[in-house]
Amino acid sequence: MERQVLMKLDRVTKTYDMGEIKVEALKETSLEVFSGEMLVILGPSGSGKSTLLNLMGGMDSPTSGQVIFKDQNISSGGEDVLTHYRRNEVGFVFQFYNLIPDLTARENVELAAELVKNPLPIDEILKEVGLDTRMDHFPSQMSGGEQQRISIARAVIKNPRLLLCDEPTGALDYETGKLILSLLKKINQEKGCTVVLITHNIAIGAMGDRVARMRSGKIVEITENPNPISPEGIEW
Amino acid sequence: MGILSKKIWRYIVRNLGQFIAAAAVVMGGIMVYVSMSSAYYNLGQARDNFYRENRFADYYFHLVKAPEGVIKQITMLDGVKSATGRIQRDLSVIKENDERATARVVSYDLPMEEGLNQLSIVEGRSFEEENGSESAEVVLDPKYFKANRLGWGDEITAIVEGKEIFFTVVGSAISPEFIYAMKDNADILPDPLKFGIFMVENRQAQQILNMPGQINQVLVEFEPEADQGVLTVAIKDILKPYGLLASYPRSDQLSDAMLQAELDQLRGVTTVLPAIFLAIAAAIQFVILRRMIKTQRAQIGLMKGIGYHNLQIMLHYALYALAVSMAGAVAGILLGVRFSFYFTDLYATYFNLPVYFKGYNPQAIVTGIILCLAIGFVSGLTASRGVVKIQPAESMRPEPPAIGGKTLLEYWPWLWRRLSAGWKMTMRNINRNRGRFAVTLMGVIFSVALLVISFFVYDAVDYMMQKFFYQGQTYDLSIRFDSLMAEREMLNISHIDGVQKVEPFLELPVRIHGGDSSEDEVLLAYGPDLTMKELEDDDGRPILIPGDGILLNQRTARKLNIRQGDEVEVETLLPTGPVHREKVYIVGLVRQMVGSGSYIDLQQANRLLQERNLVSGAMLKVEPGKASQVEAEINTMPGVASVLSHEKEIANFENYLDTMDISIAIMVLFAAILGFAIVYNASVMNLAERNREIGCIRVIGFSVKEVSGLLFKENVVHTVLGVILGLPFGRWVASAYIDSITTDLYTLPVIIYPRTYLLAAVGTMTFIFLAHKFSVRGIKRLDLAEVLKSPE
Repeated sequence: MERQVLMKLDRVTKTYDMGEIKVEALKETSLEVFSGEMLVILGPSGSGKSTLLNLMGGMDSPTSGQVIFKDQNISSGGEDVLTHYRRNEVGFVFQFYNLIPDLTARENVELAAELVKNPLPIDEILKEVGLDTRMDHFPSQMSGGEQQRISIARAVIKNPRLLLCDEPTGALDYETGKLILSLLKKINQEKGCTVVLITHNIAIGAMGDRVARMRSGKIVEITENPNPISPEGIEW
Repeated sequence: MGILSKKIWRYIVRNLGQFIAAAAVVMGGIMVYVSMSSAYYNLGQARDNFYRENRFADYYFHLVKAPEGVIKQITMLDGVKSATGRIQRDLSVIKENDERATARVVSYDLPMEEGLNQLSIVEGRSFEEENGSESAEVVLDPKYFKANRLGWGDEITAIVEGKEIFFTVVGSAISPEFIYAMKDNADILPDPLKFGIFMVENRQAQQILNMPGQINQVLVEFEPEADQGVLTVAIKDILKPYGLLASYPRSDQLSDAMLQAELDQLRGVTTVLPAIFLAIAAAIQFVILRRMIKTQRAQIGLMKGIGYHNLQIMLHYALYALAVSMAGAVAGILLGVRFSFYFTDLYATYFNLPVYFKGYNPQAIVTGIILCLAIGFVSGLTASRGVVKIQPAESMRPEPPAIGGKTLLEYWPWLWRRLSAGWKMTMRNINRNRGRFAVTLMGVIFSVALLVISFFVYDAVDYMMQKFFYQGQTYDLSIRFDSLMAEREMLNISHIDGVQKVEPFLELPVRIHGGDSSEDEVLLAYGPDLTMKELEDDDGRPILIPGDGILLNQRTARKLNIRQGDEVEVETLLPTGPVHREKVYIVGLVRQMVGSGSYIDLQQANRLLQERNLVSGAMLKVEPGKASQVEAEINTMPGVASVLSHEKEIANFENYLDTMDISIAIMVLFAAILGFAIVYNASVMNLAERNREIGCIRVIGFSVKEVSGLLFKENVVHTVLGVILGLPFGRWVASAYIDSITTDLYTLPVIIYPRTYLLAAVGTMTFIFLAHKFSVRGIKRLDLAEVLKSPE
């Protein structure tokens, strides 16, 4: 079956100018992301995974090379194009949740819902992430796992084509981490949403359709995984 | 520089905008303080020196006429240090264009060193005893000299009892009693075109005015420990046979009273305005430091861990407040010194003061610096008390998420549910930072109020002008004769081409005895068909002059402690003719914003004098466009002492209003600085604290504009509440201010036009919006990847 390319990174380089020295976080990296897949990017810290994800998510622009989303080059479009792209196409899940402390769980999700024309039904999403009974609580009144579930709900409410997860289990304990991974897998399978997940946890690679390994600012290997296992079966 | 100082220095450089904004508020306060208190100090100092050096008299007695020898009698009284007799009389001057002006001729004995109220020559020379010519040498007050573009050697023509006499201008001079050269307290402003002081040698004055060996005024200086009350009674007894018209202490002397009023007003502004600014500056510094300490929790923990003492760390943070204060103080002092020159110049245009009235007051600078240091120190140390509570170990762990409690609005679910997520965030953020919100709101309220007060002065003066010039008196020309005349003489005037209507009046100086005290007053008498003057009662309602009884001036009534319906005794004080006393009823009270004067019917005034149909002047209504023609014709008539043109009075007044522009502009600038600085600060802090939150919503897909709009919501709350509370507060301050400056001579109505409220509101919105725009520039620069990466 011919796989459809959702996003393409073409010889992307990202250099950070740190005054006297220049740090090359990504070196001429190319990558294709296919529609509906779950792509796990593995690598030690400092290997450039977060930089890659930031470029994919339109949070940053490459120093050279192109980031193409559905035939549109988002790396050269400027602030308006990036904002529009983030607003309509991408959902983000962070390691440290990044919820708005002044908004309740439900309101945090609403904040994102207000941005798009046809958001998914809030109550349904909250139910899906298992927080329908906690929706009037503030982030400060919730556990890490609960906060991360809100963060996921906030990301998917816009019904994005691409869900980018930056170490989503990094701040969570083993059990809670697995619950979050199951939730992401479910979203990937049931909603057909493309999920890119970056982690330094090699065991998580087993749940991806494909696994990319990074080292020193480069993708060194991409492996196909014809039989991804369910998150429940992963041990670390 | 120690390491800790370096740390603060770098913080300042990194957050320069915030530092400048906080320092600007200090600057505003210190600038007002240094400039205004310099003006206050200089003006007071110049006055005191001038009074002392030129021997300003303690007490004044006006007489009909007395022999010079009476002075000896007074000097012999124990407790009288010195007494001077002289002549003072108003003459009518015919100017080159046949216009009239009033010359207040005042005589001086030579050599001058022995007399009171001595002159200081400004330009030219003093008069000489005998000049051998027909014309008398005269020294003029500088304002009259300048306004009428006179030169040395110029000749001035005046009228004495129908005869022309001549003066030769030889110099200009100032005197402590004519620092503010206003004709009388019925005028609003000095009009140097129409009124001047003519200083003449005594013998010459006696000759010109036909008063050989005689005087009509006595000035007295008391010994420092003398009982003035007892002495004035004794002097009055001596002078009674010579027709004592009026007597008053120095504080009731017109020039002194006006100057004192100005000083009082200046002192009020010098205290209140800087106090507002510095209080807000202290609050801003407090808020900035509190936040700094909150965000640098981990650093403080670390410093403690290494072994710094609490006090060391507290001083370290207090240093920031001190730096803000000192930067503001230096800028404020520099500007304040600059402005003190401006204020000095401004006062120099109003007052005839010696040249040593100048520059800034070093004491104000020292006080300013001490004030700033104290504010920096106190706000710095109070704000950094929080340092003590921080535990080293605990502080280096990331802080738990902020606790967002319920806001008041959430108790009205029907309202809360209607709010967008953005508004909910705003409300909860305000709720969490109540202290900062309160400080910012206070700043906005003050700046709205300051705008109201700045523009209010315009309104009040404009209103007064409308009342006084357009409603109060609607004549085109007002004529005064040099002596009382029969009413039928008015026929000549009414026959002049262009004159539509003539309404005569009589100005009658009287002493009103009521209760245990008495007050000198001018009774203004008009006929029953008065149309060119409108009077209003206590409540501002129009009131007519009764056929019997008098309408007493509100202020005089207050001083005498008498009310409507009371009976008083009126004693006439005309410089010629016998004195009459008669009882009259107070039929009503009149309100007058400027000047004094009480009102009586013309017939009744004549009855008081036991005369019939006498008048002292007339108001004229003239065909449009013919005013100057009629004025010229009247100027050629004998017996006319002065002609006031309504149009020219208004022009003089508008001229004066123009000088207010700069003062108002300065006030508006202050309001803008205050509002801008405080809102900018609050927004910058808000932005810095919510970096992560903002980064997060940017990633979700909010545009820079939308994030800016989200932050603006908080400023909208500041603005709306600030305007709602600031407008009435401004009005309250305005009325408190008016109460504090109201004197016997004048008051301003607390009138604020809707336009002023609108201007204040729009002005506030404008600079809040600008402050917001400036503060949110940081949103664009926010590195999304960076702020979202780490937990703190």
